[in-house]
Amino acid sequence: MKEMLKGNYELPTKVTSAHDAPSLEEQFEREALKRLGGSVAFVSKRKFLWEGNDAATE
Amino acid sequence: MTQLPSEAGAQSQAGWLGTRLAAEMSALTLEKVRVIGPQNAERNRFRILAGKSVLALRSTPLIEGDTALVIAAGPSLHRRDVARLLKEMSFAGVVITTESALSYCVRHEIVPDLVVTLDSHADRIVRWFGDPNLTRERLDRDNYFSRQDMDPGFAGDELRFNQELLHLVDTYGPKIRIAVASSASEAVVDRVYAAGMEVYWWNPFYDDYERPDSLTRRLYELNGLPCLNAGGNVGSACWVIAHAVLRKKRIGLLGVDFSYYRDTPYERTQYYQELMHLVGRDRLDEVFIRVYNPHLGQEFYTDPAYLWYRDSFLEMVQEAPCETFNCTEGGILFGTGLTFTTLRSFLEREARRPETG
Repeated sequence: MKEMLKGNYELPTKVTSAHDAPSLEEQFEREALKRLGGSVAFVSKRKFLWEGNDAATE
Repeated sequence: MTQLPSEAGAQSQAGWLGTRLAAEMSALTLEKVRVIGPQNAERNRFRILAGKSVLALRSTPLIEGDTALVIAAGPSLHRRDVARLLKEMSFAGVVITTESALSYCVRHEIVPDLVVTLDSHADRIVRWFGDPNLTRERLDRDNYFSRQDMDPGFAGDELRFNQELLHLVDTYGPKIRIAVASSASEAVVDRVYAAGMEVYWWNPFYDDYERPDSLTRRLYELNGLPCLNAGGNVGSACWVIAHAVLRKKRIGLLGVDFSYYRDTPYERTQYYQELMHLVGRDRLDEVFIRVYNPHLGQEFYTDPAYLWYRDSFLEMVQEAPCETFNCTEGGILFGTGLTFTTLRSFLEREARRPETG
């Protein structure tokens, strides 16, 4: 779409490609995938406990 | 129609999609909980501010001794006579259970030293404590507990079982400490306070606290609670608390299967309905992953979330300066950094060990 709209003028309305936004099917699939997730994220870090200071403990 | 995993080798594509999904679990889980978890934390804020942090457990008798035993609610717990052995050998260390294993423990008169709860689900998690608001209509809408190969107690007359569990938890509650994640639902928080449990609060990691836009950091700024890397699930969170909060040097794991037995129909697995919705019945063999456990000479199967839990746990265990003994005698949690053993061996070894502070 962007290739077709090249020009030296500004369009009065913003044109967005249908490909930019996820389709309804993709949105449904993402929602279904989310339901497979666990209780909370796992963060790949060496430390397990953070008490608010910038250096983690334990 | 009951559907069991296909015979090994029957399908060359077995498990490929599940393995791919497991690699996405961290991001998918964050999407799932990044709104509800902090919302619950906001709602729990006044109780948190008036309560105790999980680090206050270090000022209790739980800090004494070097050993802990984590009890989670994997299917092996109910296929082996774990409770009898535990009572017979009288483990002297700290017993930490997931909320999902609490019912098993109190039904067998095992009172855990600490219970841990994490998941933010609005109305399922409270069932593990006995749900004072459970009705037939709600059971008809959601068969999550009766459908699964978990605690068989939840598979029979659910209303009667719930009443019995309410009574048991109310009886033992005042003797139990519980580490409650700030993400816990209103139903769970109300229930543990009503049961008279001693509550200790913590924040789970949602993301890297070193990032400037970190949600974990924002939560810390909201409530001042220490933040713990929970490894994606409550069983791993128990192990993290044993190691990082209670500073245990040796930790046994029980009921940490992260998988299903081969004779468990797909219908009785935790994410069956979600996986059916996603790929359909014909492709279920592609999302369930078979894992051979060489310590047991037995094959189990798992789903993307459990495979992710297992891989995350194996990553964490290698970073921890403590010894971890998997006494589950089932499941797929084996690898570098932990010792796969029997519960009897673990308990005998601990019984022979001289007292240390």
